[in-house]
Amino acid sequence: MAGGLAYFLPAAELAFESTGQVITSPSPSQLLLSPSATQTSATAAPVAGAFTVLLLGSDDDSKFKADHVLTQSMILVRVVPSTKQVTMLSIPRDLYVHLSTGGYGKIMDAYSYGGPGASISTVAQNFGVKINDYIWIGLLGLVKLIDAIGGIDVVTSHPVLDDYYPADIYGGWPYDYERVAVLAGPQHMTGIQAMQYVRSRHGDLQSDLGRSQRQQQVLIAIRQKAKQMSPEDLPTISAALGKEMKTSISLTEVAGMLPLAASLDNPDSIRQLVLLPPYTHGGGPGGSITPDWGRILPLVHQYFP
Amino acid sequence: MIQRVGLGLAMVVLMLVSSTVTFVYLGTKTSHIADLPQKPTAATPRAQALSLSGTIYIAQSGAIYSLTAGRFRQITPEAGWTQPSLYPDQSRLLAVRRFALYSDIYIMSRFGVVQKRLTSNVAPPRTYDPGANHWAFYPRLGTDGRVYLSYDQPKGGYAVVFSIWSMSPTSNIKQGKLWSNADDYTGGDVQPIPLRQGLIYTKYSYGSNDRLTGQLYYLPSPYVRGRPATGWGTALTTEDEDCRSPQVSPSGKQVAMICTYQKQVSYLVIASWNGKKLGARQRIITNQMVAQPTWAPDGSGIAYLAPGTGNGPFQLWFLPSAGYAPQPSPTPNYGPIVTPSPLLAVKPVQITTNNGFDATSPLAWAD
Repeated sequence: MAGGLAYFLPAAELAFESTGQVITSPSPSQLLLSPSATQTSATAAPVAGAFTVLLLGSDDDSKFKADHVLTQSMILVRVVPSTKQVTMLSIPRDLYVHLSTGGYGKIMDAYSYGGPGASISTVAQNFGVKINDYIWIGLLGLVKLIDAIGGIDVVTSHPVLDDYYPADIYGGWPYDYERVAVLAGPQHMTGIQAMQYVRSRHGDLQSDLGRSQRQQQVLIAIRQKAKQMSPEDLPTISAALGKEMKTSISLTEVAGMLPLAASLDNPDSIRQLVLLPPYTHGGGPGGSITPDWGRILPLVHQYFP
Repeated sequence: MIQRVGLGLAMVVLMLVSSTVTFVYLGTKTSHIADLPQKPTAATPRAQALSLSGTIYIAQSGAIYSLTAGRFRQITPEAGWTQPSLYPDQSRLLAVRRFALYSDIYIMSRFGVVQKRLTSNVAPPRTYDPGANHWAFYPRLGTDGRVYLSYDQPKGGYAVVFSIWSMSPTSNIKQGKLWSNADDYTGGDVQPIPLRQGLIYTKYSYGSNDRLTGQLYYLPSPYVRGRPATGWGTALTTEDEDCRSPQVSPSGKQVAMICTYQKQVSYLVIASWNGKKLGARQRIITNQMVAQPTWAPDGSGIAYLAPGTGNGPFQLWFLPSAGYAPQPSPTPNYGPIVTPSPLLAVKPVQITTNNGFDATSPLAWAD
């Protein structure tokens, strides 16, 4: 038991540090005093009902104060275990909405005013959806996560060229630029390459909306790779992520989701939605994007009932 | 008393041993998904693998390797080298050396000895604009003696796209000839395959559903400045097929390509080629993430890159020609009609197991 506890300690620590910020999660003692994480995974109840998770991604470099970052990426994911259907809806970061913290602004601002709780409330109120959980990950966290699982296989849809890509995650002047060239086609990507692919927007006519489609591709690739993981991989991944991830999902819930993730084999069962025009249009205040709620809400209620 | 102390000590030792064993045991149960790929020279291909004819040039981790008679040899250091291609007479190689902000095209011997740098894409000294650097990729020498490549000019501001250029190996890119007129904000035009007349390449553009897709195009002659981009060249594949990586067979009568049908999959597809149009498609490999199909120069099959098992680094695979024997057809059919996948009596052979080849780098195969 002592060896098992020591082995899974990094995972338990991460669970303790990163969960329970919005939705109550098991206490660290519950996690640590369970016989072992392997037994936990073996006895975890499989997920039965449909659930919705809000994925949040942020630039967490030195341009921002800790925990007052903007969420550059917001993706609502609904999983229906009974039909093995997954729906991903990318929310434009510049969408002009009523913020749960008061007033109006871009939806990405909510996190900087009130953390994940404000983001969840803002999305829930504007889109009329019930959100069960959230996962927040910083830029470096995404890089470390992908490297910790040995990289991902992605079919990049087109060459992504950017002469003014931010060179901000490894220290130095946070407003520096570098060049990136991600070539097109099937390839195995490291964390850095994947981040360049999902983050670059200057070379895309659809800017943030274009990269939303790429972010969904990478999420699918991460899920695909996660199917090969065993519970014994969790400590390595936890150690790699450090404080670059926060979530309301507990370890026991993650264990319950693993069989479900492994069963989602059919690429046709993953529906990808991006709020391109006519659902949104530019020209809002401060460079924001104006939503056409008359079109968006029926779509959202169809797939996120 | 002494007995109790002894028993206590024994229990402590037992605890230490059992917890250490448990810790180590759990460590051995990891999935090894993050294991680093081996260098190709670290191990020969699998014993049961075919020994492919000729020599294949292949890239991994910034180095180019040759594979001859089942044995790898590293011909360049791990220093950004990628995308080898053979001269038509197979006497030399063209290759790309990629740096952080730019890449250049080089001529090298088949043993990796650099003979000439063809482009100079680094920004002038004391230039702080990263956009003053350039990218050059996918070099190919045509039978006309010119080097065809993808080059990120013309560009302006944020609109950085590849266009197809040709240049003389004795000149420089400033005297080069622009062949294609790429659409802005698309990634542009890549992978030129020079033919006796004109060239085939991959063009990226926005489809009718506002998604960026790849299409194979045929260009009979270089671009004429001032002409509208629309309608320049002939589309060989449709938007819905979303194809790239064209490779013409040694006979010149077939084209192999990678098509995604706008999904997160990649199928190896071949089609007949009459010099102007592609014929009916034949999906050859549909159960793997396939990249870089390359015809054997003796017509014995197609090599390609694909993950070994599951989702992981790319390995070298080979499909013997019996696996895609042409289906008899009463009438020749030129168009994107897909024939049913043939029942592969001959299955693809996985040549390597623990490598991690660069799937963005075409293979070069000499006879």
